[in-house]
Amino acid sequence: MTAMLDVQNLVKLFPLSGTGKVVQAVNDVSFSIDRGETLSLVGESGSGKTTVGRCVLGLIDSTKGEIWFDGKRMGRGRDIRSRDLRGRIQLVFQEPAESLDPRIQVGETLAEPLRYLGMNRPDRDRRVTEVARHLGLPTRALDQYPNELSAGLQQRVGIGRAIVTKPELVILDEPTSALDPTARAEIVDLLARLQGELGTAYLLITHDLSTVRFVSHRVAVMYLGTIVEEASAERLFARPLHPYSVGLLASVLLPDPDITRVSAIRLEGEIPSPIDLPPGCPLAGRCPFADDRCKRERPPAIAVTPGHFVRCFHTDKVAAVDQTIDQFARFQEESARLLSVGAG
Amino acid sequence: MSGDDAILDVSGLWVGYPSYGAATTHAVRGIDLRVAPGELIGLVGESGSGKTTLARAIMGLVPPPGVIERGTVLFAGRDLSRADDEARRGVLGRELAMVIPNPRAELNPVIPVGRQIANVAFYHLNVKRAEADCIAMDMLRAVRIPDPERRFHAYPHELSGGMAQRVVIAIALVCSPKLVISDDATSGLDVTVQAQVLDLLRTLVRDKGAATLFITRDIAITAHFCTRIGVIFAGQIVEMAETSSFFARPHHPYSIMLLAAFSHNPALRARWTRSADSSAPVSAVGCAFAARCVRRQDRCLSEAPHLRALHPNHAVRCHFPVERAA
Repeated sequence: MTAMLDVQNLVKLFPLSGTGKVVQAVNDVSFSIDRGETLSLVGESGSGKTTVGRCVLGLIDSTKGEIWFDGKRMGRGRDIRSRDLRGRIQLVFQEPAESLDPRIQVGETLAEPLRYLGMNRPDRDRRVTEVARHLGLPTRALDQYPNELSAGLQQRVGIGRAIVTKPELVILDEPTSALDPTARAEIVDLLARLQGELGTAYLLITHDLSTVRFVSHRVAVMYLGTIVEEASAERLFARPLHPYSVGLLASVLLPDPDITRVSAIRLEGEIPSPIDLPPGCPLAGRCPFADDRCKRERPPAIAVTPGHFVRCFHTDKVAAVDQTIDQFARFQEESARLLSVGAG
Repeated sequence: MSGDDAILDVSGLWVGYPSYGAATTHAVRGIDLRVAPGELIGLVGESGSGKTTLARAIMGLVPPPGVIERGTVLFAGRDLSRADDEARRGVLGRELAMVIPNPRAELNPVIPVGRQIANVAFYHLNVKRAEADCIAMDMLRAVRIPDPERRFHAYPHELSGGMAQRVVIAIALVCSPKLVISDDATSGLDVTVQAQVLDLLRTLVRDKGAATLFITRDIAITAHFCTRIGVIFAGQIVEMAETSSFFARPHHPYSIMLLAAFSHNPALRARWTRSADSSAPVSAVGCAFAARCVRRQDRCLSEAPHLRALHPNHAVRCHFPVERAA
């Protein structure tokens, strides 16, 4: 079985000129995405998740490792601009306002990728109208400029520009973090609906865990350039086994004072600089369970159950102190109970 | 709570931004807000709801061309908007402090962070330079910055976002203010750092006995951080309640819409979201939320609701608040 996208042992180093030092942005990362599937890469700023996305797109060359898309290897000279890949992998950016050309009308923005696929004007117009309908974008908006639209509508245009070429894979780099909660919820719904209708696969790069919980099939948690844990969304949120995943989940606040993840694991300090990382586990400096072995030896990815991989020597200790509760699912249940009465 | 012992008393406040050739835009439209000493109060609203203008008005610093058209803001019995610059400078940073987002952009890039904290102490606390430096060093320790002796001499760009936010908190709290206004102070931070900064802020304001007005667009933070919550929409407080009461029985359709947005339940959201009909007859006299409200009735378009108490400590600005069994 071959996945649509297969990333194997990806390494990306950025040498710091004149110092002899190296930023280890991505450090031996492997994952795969099937057709129509959503894999979320979650982690804090500096964890390397955006660099992974850029390597997959071929916008930057990886230092080591292999990236396979649809059975063929990507690499130097073969990226999203290559003739055979053009339009098949697309990207949605974080800041909707800044990623749209302020002097080009929305309709033209949506049609532009099709021009580079050699589509003629009538076909382009037809396809743009179709996409506008998919997006729930008012027809009027096609003749407007980006600054005339709200942030939520702007992000719809950003998504429309990506899906207009019917891509097989869309890389979403923090698509909702610049938006207000209601606009964010609308964008998340839209992405889920589009996936159902079009069968597009998503690589979702974000630190918004509540979005991740409900739109992902699988979740990979990144820390300092390494995927420390990967599992199905249900499994990861109910039974995280890496101390970093537990700390991350326990830090998330939900709008219900009674729902918190009680855990003995609190992450102190901040993510260290990825310059010249020491050997051993990347979390060793912040982890309450770290011992000498963690500082010496990099934990391998171990499958604790099929499809659930953890890079930690102390998963048994984590399991012993963390409660088994998916606070996101619980909040969803609670809110359904609380808010389902009284609508107009 | 009577008005006399409130540290902050905003009543009937209107702030407008006049524009040439068009009607004045009102960012704050009749806000009443009282904060008791030591209270942690949250104000939740989306971008454009007027929450930042309110914060500026409380400090007497409405950015031009904005003007306070009506109403009063009394901080510890004084009206800062009508005070002269000299008097205002004596209060801001001393008794009334602000924690801002984007700390690395707001700190002075060419002054070491320890010196920036010491400067505030020096100007306000009537102490010698050396003593101000000691106070600043104590604050760096209080905000749990590792290796404070070295970090005292660091410049803002040498600190991470979380570290810089701790410095901003140190600057805000160094004079033991009576009220701290936090305006989206944790919005740019990663979740684990946000959790640490919130814990720190909560501990410090409690230790210093300061009241906190916590302005944010993230209703989830207020659930865990504040004792009382106000929801602000289009320049008005639409619901105000004690935290437990608010989350157990939200009454305003807008509050419920905000909560539903977090649920990731499309059916639930759809129930509380009126599809944006551009023809919505929004009249100046009716309820500001009517265009988006699923419970809208004729009365909502002709008559603006007032903020009224449904229970003790739970007020709603709605003709048809959502009721449910307690």
